[in-house]
Parts: sequence; structure tokens; C-alpha cells
Amino acid sequence: MTADSEMVEPAGPRFSFEGRPREARPGDSVLDVLLRDGLPNLQRSPHYHRPRAPLCGLGQCTNCLVRVNGRPNVRACRYEPAEGDRVETENGWPSRRFDALAGFDLLFPSGLDTLHGFRRPAWATRFYQFVVRRLTGFGAPPSSESAARLRAPPEVRSVDVLILGAGRAGRACAARLVAAGGSPLVIDRARSLEPVSGAELLTRTTVSFLPPRPADGARPFEVLAYTEPARGLLLRAQRVVVAVGSYDASLLFGSNDRPGVMTADGALAMAPRGGPPPFRAAIVFGAGDRAAEVVRRLEAQVSALVAPGVVPPELVRVCSDAGVEIYPRSLLVRAHGRSRVRSVELVARGSGTVSRVACDAVVLAHRRVPNVPVLFQVGTRMRWHGDPGAYFPEVDPAGRTSVPGLWAVGSVAGARGAASPLSGDRAARSLLGALPAGPVDASRPEAGPGEFEGYYRELLRRPRPGRWVACPCEDILLKELEAVTAGGYRGVEVAKRYSGLGTGLCQGRYCLPDALLVLALHEGRAPSEVGYSTQRPPVHPTPLAALAALEPQMAPSEER
Amino acid sequence: MTSPRRAAYAVTIVGAGIVGLFTAYQLARAGAGPILVVDRGFLSGGASGRNGGGVRQQWDTRATVRLARESVAAYRRFGREFGYNIWFRQSGYLFLAETPAELARLTTVSQLVRSEGLDARILDPEGVARRVDGIAPGAVVGGAYLGSDGTLYPFPAIWGVYEAARALGVEVLLGVDATGVTSKDGHVAGLVTSAGPVATPRVVNAAGGWSGEFARRAGVEVPNVATRHEILALEPMRPFLDPMVVRVSDGLYFSQTMRGEIVGGLTMHHPPGTTGGMSTSPEFLPRMARTLTALVPRLGGLNVLRAWSGFYDDTPDGFPVIGEDPRLPGFVHAHGFGGHGFMLAPAASRRVADAVLRTPSDLDPEQFGPQRFFGPRAPAAVERLQLG
Ligand SMILES: Cc1cc2nc3c(=O)[nH]c(=O)nc-3n(C[C@H](O)[C@H](O)[C@H](O)COP(=O)(O)OP(=O)(O)OC[C@H]3O[C@@H](n4cnc5c(N)ncnc54)[C@H](O)[C@@H]3O)c2cc1C
Ligand code: FES
Repeated sequence: MTADSEMVEPAGPRFSFEGRPREARPGDSVLDVLLRDGLPNLQRSPHYHRPRAPLCGLGQCTNCLVRVNGRPNVRACRYEPAEGDRVETENGWPSRRFDALAGFDLLFPSGLDTLHGFRRPAWATRFYQFVVRRLTGFGAPPSSESAARLRAPPEVRSVDVLILGAGRAGRACAARLVAAGGSPLVIDRARSLEPVSGAELLTRTTVSFLPPRPADGARPFEVLAYTEPARGLLLRAQRVVVAVGSYDASLLFGSNDRPGVMTADGALAMAPRGGPPPFRAAIVFGAGDRAAEVVRRLEAQVSALVAPGVVPPELVRVCSDAGVEIYPRSLLVRAHGRSRVRSVELVARGSGTVSRVACDAVVLAHRRVPNVPVLFQVGTRMRWHGDPGAYFPEVDPAGRTSVPGLWAVGSVAGARGAASPLSGDRAARSLLGALPAGPVDASRPEAGPGEFEGYYRELLRRPRPGRWVACPCEDILLKELEAVTAGGYRGVEVAKRYSGLGTGLCQGRYCLPDALLVLALHEGRAPSEVGYSTQRPPVHPTPLAALAALEPQMAPSEER
Repeated sequence: MTSPRRAAYAVTIVGAGIVGLFTAYQLARAGAGPILVVDRGFLSGGASGRNGGGVRQQWDTRATVRLARESVAAYRRFGREFGYNIWFRQSGYLFLAETPAELARLTTVSQLVRSEGLDARILDPEGVARRVDGIAPGAVVGGAYLGSDGTLYPFPAIWGVYEAARALGVEVLLGVDATGVTSKDGHVAGLVTSAGPVATPRVVNAAGGWSGEFARRAGVEVPNVATRHEILALEPMRPFLDPMVVRVSDGLYFSQTMRGEIVGGLTMHHPPGTTGGMSTSPEFLPRMARTLTALVPRLGGLNVLRAWSGFYDDTPDGFPVIGEDPRLPGFVHAHGFGGHGFMLAPAASRRVADAVLRTPSDLDPEQFGPQRFFGPRAPAAVERLQLG
């Protein structure tokens, strides 16, 4: 960038937000623009109409949904406005700031029991249905014009190697293949990324595997890609490298859905281009590398570190350099504040001492979990690891999975730090035929009881002040999840159907990692025995219009 | 592994779907003695946990209209009887006709339904458009509508009946495969399971899409075939569609659930059999998307959240099989429900219980009994209102 362009910000598109004019800089998302005025409470939760603010930074959570030109549920964090766009918020009445339906939060302090409640008297059935039916969903259905605008021509392509994820591992893999004369296609869901030199990169694109056709065996993989906002792409790939990374998990505590509670991914994404994040005094929860990274990068806006366990000396040093107070071995019990977190309540593990720490944000940096849905979907053999408490694919040293033609590398396969690009490079060498297949890598983190099983065992024995939201997308409370086991039902599949957890817009990405631990705890068995819920296509939400456009391309396999 | 608590049961039921569970419940209420239900999967793992929740009374025979009407009454009472709210919402079923011939057929059905005392109506295109906001102009020539049809949420129905049956002493073993039937002097004498054999004079085949397979294991062939049917859910929206909408020509159906999701599917004509498993086919999502958006273009702007599939258990004539098998006394059929086992289960299970208890039933064995398939004149295959 030249000195000139740094001083004079080029003008970007002008759009309206809730009727008022706004101006974006080129490359801004709607959320980037709104963040200049601080963290916006864009949503109301579907059942209780609690205020919600963006939290995940990945386009997964349901907290930044807006309506753009009549199209509902567009994620403000992913959508780059065009000149003249009309952006509105969706589900507060009369407005998102003052929402009369928020009365439901107060009227039902122990939750709406839609499973057993509203059955009597019989004559009120229709009335109950009228009311409860309105407590669903976020937006109103799309206008016909908005749907018509989504018609982009579909595309069908065949590629030799498809790399999913343009993080360090995916890039390293692509680089080695390019150096050897290959031309892999790299896909990432992020909005803007450095180009991958020599390889084609598709951004804002999510993928889902189509089930294999009976006649084909496993190959080629058919992959449905969807590029926001409207393009459907059908890819036939001989080989696929999954390098989709990991993400920061959520955490269960009282009022854990309060605006200001966010994951480390979210905090970092909301401090774009090195700008300040939308908070001034955050507490960071965690004690590992990720927590250290957040403290280091946002030190001026972090006031305290809350650690579930002991804090390693290295992190103690980082914190004291930054003037960040440390609360080691603590349970995070509850957030206070209504439209924004104002403080958190901590309980010291062991002594039980309660303390209250003022803050305007809670950054969850305690546990990174691999982004495994596509791996489950395509039937990769997976194995549970106690720390961080998640399933990882079984891979050989070159990243080969149990599915022929499918590799998994980088943090989705458990590689951390410098090992991540190395794993991508090794996969490329084996794709090039330089590395023979090997036994399943035994050097991966071992199975066994993990840190957060113990954390939750201790936490869930205690009283539960505030609302404990187990699935924010669907506004499902922890006690609704716990009612599953209490009712004598077992396993994650039934839990999902019984409670509704994991059926929202993120399809469980945000809530399942914790739900598995909770279910295991209550069922009295290992999380690996609780199972994992079947990942159903399209894995990432995809508009009907984009799928419809692909229909003529779906020739049966014989005709290809 | 869990194993049966007793060595002998008065009745054993294969399949803990809605049909098996309701049957167990009816029998327990009738005081039939110790009852065992086995299912090799998990609760709600079969079609009962994978369907669209549609409940309609618009049928083309009097017997099925009556069964459906009785089931509607049972589902209206469900909350009070079983303690779970199934959100049975009677906001209508709307069949769409694209040609005068289809409309004529719907009119005949509608008249039959009316003659049974239900307020079935024929709608003109404007009447249809009023109920399906945003339907493409010229898409239909008319429709058949019955306001007291509706949709329910299947899962709480399963939990409710499961818990009620267990409270009455029914034993339900999950993760247990029924592998065969033993007989003595030509009569059922026992059920063989992966958790061991039990003695029993009655075996009920309520194995849904796998009923043909289980009947074969028991040595009594039935002509049922399992067909895979796919279904999807769109992201939840605030309410905008009341009825379940079904198109006659291709079996396209969709409704908006209590949770705001549009749930729907269409008939894909997969080869029969359960071997393909329960994933969706590659063609389903694009085909369904194209079909649905052609009919209601504004839906194109909605995201698909997930698609899944389950098995219909289809019979050649489209009617379920309910009754004791004359070839193997003690073996009772309770299957062949195609795409409507959920809506018929409350009423059908009472007739299954009748068959088990050998009490007289009001069902015509020529229409529902297993003997219709191996009698002197096997029924002709017919296309019925088998949709949604
Ligand atoms: C996509 C789809 C949409 C549908 N929509 C509707 C609708 O809108 N309205 C409606 O009324 N109906 C609908 N149906 C049909 C309805 O779901 C079924 O007819 C009904 O659920 C059948 O119930 P069941 O108890 O007979 O079978 P299932 O629920 O399939 O239960 C059978 C059980 O038997 C078990 N089993 C099988 N073999 C064995 C064995 N050998 N040993 C032990 N256990 C065994 C299976 O594990 C299974 O749990 C739909 C079905 C599908 C697939
Ligand atoms: S949090 Fe998104 S589905 Fe549960």
C-alpha cells in the first residue's frame, strides 16, 4: 500500500442501515461498518427475545443476521454491501432496541417448556399455537424480487486436487503441488485472503460432499460448493485435502449469550486491520496458547485472565507485562448485565471463593475444536481425544484418512503450530506419490479424560444462576438438554431430537462440542460413547436458488 | 448388552417406531400380559423420526378416511393423554391439481370425504393462491382442501407413547435385533433376538421399511418393498404458510412447522430396497430446490439447513397390512404404511391389537389383511393418494 492510499481512504459503497445512510470502505462487511460505533446488538434470540450481538467471527453464529434488500438471514459479518443496498434488522418488535416480546424472557424465568407445556386447557390450543409459532425463526420470508436476484449461472468443473481451507496447512499443500506443476483448486469460506500463488483460490465458499453414487465407488468426489451470495458450483475432484482448521469453542455459564460474550475467533475478527476490538476491558477465559495470543494481540483492551486451571509461567509473564490480572483455577459461573456484559462471577476451584470481576466482554479462548462436520459427512474414521475434547480424523503420517482419496491436514487433524504447514506439505508429497501410505499416526494427542470434562463435572454440581443457553441458535437451555438424560434417553442423536439442540442455523457447530461433554457427564460414560450427530447435507446453509440452478447439471453418472 | 427380563412374553413386537409403540400401548391398556418391544436401532431412528408430520383425512376409500378421522381425534387428545405437546396444528391440507383430470380425481375424493361428514372443499386457483402466498401464477387449475387436516411434531409423539407404554409395564429393548421366529405345530412359539430367544405366542411385525426383511426371516413372505424418500428443512422463518401443500403430479409436499422451518420432499423413484442406506441421493437437493422454487419462487432466497431420508414401506395396492397371518398363526402384520404411518398409527394400532387379541375388528380383511396378497385373486397395483 502506498502512503497516499493510506491517508485517503477510497470511498466505498453507500447503503442504508435501518433507514439511515452508511458508507463502507472497499472490502468492508456490513458488520465492519457497524462496528465503528461499537458492538451492535443486531438480533433478538428466537424464543426469549434476548438481545444478541455477534460472537463467532466465522459466519457460523446466528447473532448478526440482517435482511438485505428483502432477503432474510444474511450474515452481516460476511456480506459486503453494494451501492444502494437496503439493510434492515430482523426480529425485534417494534424495534431491536426496544422489543416488546422480550417480555417472554421475564415471563418465563425457568424457560418455555414447549415439550410438555401449553397442553391445557384444550380450548386454548389454537391460541397457544398462534403465540408459540411466532416465537420461531428470525426473519420474515424473502420477497420474490430478492429470490429472483439470486439466479447466477451454475458451473461444473473437474479438478484433480481440491484443497478445502486456505490456512497454513492448505497453503503449504497447495504451494508444494504448484511447485511440482500441479494446479489445485483452493476453497475457503473466509471473505478476503492472500492469494495462493500459482493456484486458484475461491473465497466465501462453503462446501458439502454429495453422497457417492452407487456405481462410482468413492471417486471422483462430488462436492457442492456455494459461493456467497448466489453461485452454486458442482466440483468433481479426484482427490480432496481437508484443511478446514479449528475454531474456538463456546462455554456454558449463566447468561452466556449476553452481548459481549464472544469467542477468541470473534474478538480477533472484530478487530479488523489491526483496529481496536469492540470492547475496552475484556476478560479472557483460557490458559493455553490461544489465550496468550489474545492477550498479546489485544493487550490494551484486556483487563483480566480467567483460567480454568493453573496458568503456565509463560502466560503469567505475558499477563504481567500487559498489566492483566490473573484468576487461576476458576469456574466462570455467570455473566451480569442486560444489553451488554458488565461483570462476571467467578468461583475459585477448591476454595469456593466467589469473586466478581467488572468487564465489558468475555473472550472465550479456552478450547479449540477441529472443524469436523465435512469429515463426518464423508464417512472418515474418527477418534475421540480427551483434550481438547473432540473427534479428530484418524490419519497416517502423510494425512491420509480412512476414505480413499481423502487427506486431512492442519489443525482439523490435530497438527498445531509449525506442525500444521508441515502436515500440508507432507500431504502434497504423498499426493505426488513421494510418500507411501503408513500406519495411523500414533503421535497424536491421546484419548483419555480431558480437562473440560473435569471442569464441567465441578461446574454442573453447583447452582445455576441466570439463563444457561446450551444452543443459542434455537434458544435451548442447558436444563432442556439435561432433561434428555433425566428422562431416560441416551445418545446424542436422541438428545438432538428430544431437545432440538444442534438443529439451528449453525447445525450444531457452536453447541455440540459442549453438549457432548454434558451428555457424557450425565450418562456416566465416555464422550466417545455418546456419539456424534449425523452430518446431513448441505452441511453449510445453501440457498435453494443456488441449488436449483445446479439441477440440470446433475446428470446421472453414466452420462458424464 | 441389555437382555429381556423374562423368559416368556404374551406379546412381542418388532420395531419401536410409532406403530410398534402405539400397539404396545393399546395392548398394555387392554391388559394383554407381559409385552416386549425390541428395536435394533435407537428410538426415533426409523421412519417415525424422519417424516414430515402430515396428518390428513382426505383419502379415497371410506375405511381409510375413517381410520384417519379417528387418528385425528386421538392426536387432538394426545397432550392430555400422554403428557407431551405434539403441537398438532389443524391448519389444513391442500392438494394441488395441475390438470383438469387431476382436479376431477381430487373432486371425487373430496366428495367421498364430505360424505363422511368432513368439510372438504375444492378451491379455485385464487383460493389456492390465498393459502399459498407467492405461488407462481398459472401453476394450478385448482386444489382440494380440508381445514381439519394438519401437521404435528413427530418426536414428542414418540416420547409420549414410549413413556406411557413403559409406565404400563411394557419392556422396550433398544439395540436388539429380531432375527427370527420359532414355531411349534405351525403356530408362533418364540422370537429369536440378538439378546437371546424368548418364548411368545404372538409376534407383531412393526418393522417399518424392514418389515419385508423381518417377515422373510420369520418365513412368511410379504410383497412389501422399502423405498427411500428424501426430505429437507429450510431455515426457520416467521410464520407465513399455514397448510401442508401437496402436488398430485409429482408428490411434492411442504409445510411450515411450528418451529418455522419449511419441511418438504418429493418422490424421487429410487430403486427399491434398504441397502442404499439412509443418506440422501446426490440428485435430491437440486431437484427439490428446482421443483419447489418453480412453484413458489420466493422460497429461492431461503437456505437449506439439512436433508435426510427414510424408508416408506410400500405395498402393491397402497394399503397397509394389518392382521394375523393365516400361514403362521400368532404372526401379526402391522406394516405397509407407505408415507402415512404416522397419521394412521393411533387408529391402526387398535386394529393391530384386535388382531393380537383375536377380538373382532371393523377392518375389511379383503382391504387390509395379509391374505389379500396370496389369496386366489391378488389385488391389482393401483396409484392412490399416497402422498405427504
Ligand atoms: C421422508 C418421509 C416423510 C414421511 N411423511 C409422513 C407424513 O407426513 N405423515 C405420515 O403420516 N407419515 C409420513 N411418513 C411415513 C411414516 O413416517 C411411517 O409410515 C411411519 O413412521 C412408520 O412407522 P413404523 O413404526 O411402522 O416404522 P419405523 O418408524 O420405521 O420403525 C420401525 C422400526 O423397526 C426397527 N426394526 C426393523 N427391523 C428390525 C429387526 N429385525 N429387529 C429389531 N428392530 C427392527 C427399526 O430399527 C425401526 O426403528 C413419512 C416417511 C418418510 C420416510
Ligand atoms: S448453536 Fe447453532 S445449532 Fe445449536
